[in-house]
Amino acid sequence: MKALQWQGVNKLAVGQVPDPELRNPGDIIVKVGRTVTCGSDLHLLGGYIPFMEKGDVLGHEFLGEVVEAGPDVRRHRVGDRVVVSSFISCGNCWYCDQKLFSLCDNGNTNPAITETLWGQAPSGCYGYSHAMGGNAGSHAEYIRVPFADVGAFTVPDAVSDERALFASDSASTGWMGADLGGVKPGDVVAVWGAGAVGQMAARAAVLLGADRVIVIDRFDNRLQQVERFVGAETLNYERTDVAGELRERSGGRGPDVCIEAVGMEAHSSGPQFGYDQIKQQLRLQTDRPTAVREAVHACRKGGSVFVLGVYAGFVDKFPLGALMNKGLTMRGAQMHGQRYIPMLLERMARGELTTEHLATHVMPLDQAPEGYRMFKEKEDDCVRAVFIP
Amino acid sequence: MSRTKIAFLIAVPLAAGAAVAARRRSRPGAPDNRRHVVTVFRPLAEVESTQLPGSLSEIAGDVRISLSAAPGGRGTEIAVRIPDGSAVTTGEVRRALRETRSLLEAGDVLLPSGPATTVPTLFNRPLQAATSNGREGGLL
Repeated sequence: MKALQWQGVNKLAVGQVPDPELRNPGDIIVKVGRTVTCGSDLHLLGGYIPFMEKGDVLGHEFLGEVVEAGPDVRRHRVGDRVVVSSFISCGNCWYCDQKLFSLCDNGNTNPAITETLWGQAPSGCYGYSHAMGGNAGSHAEYIRVPFADVGAFTVPDAVSDERALFASDSASTGWMGADLGGVKPGDVVAVWGAGAVGQMAARAAVLLGADRVIVIDRFDNRLQQVERFVGAETLNYERTDVAGELRERSGGRGPDVCIEAVGMEAHSSGPQFGYDQIKQQLRLQTDRPTAVREAVHACRKGGSVFVLGVYAGFVDKFPLGALMNKGLTMRGAQMHGQRYIPMLLERMARGELTTEHLATHVMPLDQAPEGYRMFKEKEDDCVRAVFIP
Repeated sequence: MSRTKIAFLIAVPLAAGAAVAARRRSRPGAPDNRRHVVTVFRPLAEVESTQLPGSLSEIAGDVRISLSAAPGGRGTEIAVRIPDGSAVTTGEVRRALRETRSLLEAGDVLLPSGPATTVPTLFNRPLQAATSNGREGGLL
């Protein structure tokens, strides 16, 4: 079958790979209908998460049709249209019982790497390096889905492929940031990053009753999407004093909840961007935490900061003093998709959550390397590139 | 310096370090006298009444296994100590504990994707060494 393969740092190619096989009795094979780029893929592409092998298949946000099912699969049959959570979870361990699905104890076949790096191993993810299990990704004609009764969800007839696709990761990740960040009615919420995840976090905050939701980015096309499709306010950090503006819009208190949806390759307009770039190049830090620093400083006393952006290792100049003295609660997580996808599909069916606008570029899988180039360079106002195998 | 070179400078030492560390931890070496413990989300009574499954049962005669209830309704703690003179390695114990937990909780042990889509290269070798026995390394 055809698949988009990582060939080295900043090198992608569509090649022929063997078709996936059922390996465990709870597996299904899905014929991929749509699969989409994610900002976190750029960390793999750029070599910032150095656990890729030449030939690895990328992609973790997808939907498709069940074409084969293992003997233990109960919830799905051949022909079902399913959207799949990007993290692989058993559904039976203590973490899954707590609905912390991306922390599943049994979903990562290579726990040694992340256990060594981080002290404990999270679960596995599709197409996201051998640290996350080395699972083949979704930028392919077919994909194996383990623990299918737990991680694959039948898409209601009322929800189109174009909309349901983003329940797989972006919408569920964004919703998690607002939910676990503790957004309540009346809150002021600030979201750093107007990509798909940031937009979905902002939409979740709106739907959870926040009084004001403010999204921060530097790309006007993304901020225009926020205003039109999310119903939130915007700030362009290249033209605005973000900290001052957030104070003003929150009555001098600072936002109650700050959600960071940027990740380890953050940009900023100030001198700290150059500082972080140099530190990263000199290997004195692995990640650039610009947006996290801003969120911690901006957040109101006793407020909450949730880190949705992907980080791999260590950062410098983390404002621990602000965190401690302001009494902040800080959390982060990879996405617990199984917790949110059924609810998100219902909201999508009711029209409360729309995602089609995120797919600014739709193209055949053959053009995926070009799609990633456009996505990385933000060319032609690319927000997300969707591939159809 | 190009972004590729920059990323390469960051990535290679991090990957090699983690891979070597993960690999080193799975090697047999000095006597390992500490207990290796996992918590299984199954009640103690249930675990006590069943034969321990998988590779833990295969090494049961060469290690000391103890069971106790985990606090807070978290299930059962399974602890393994390797006695002096045992031929069982730390890596084998880690693998056995992880597989046993998965069998007791999920009824199965997740296998890696297949068939492989990757090709071996010089730079892949440390990573492939670490992942070829991914359940034997780590901190457990």
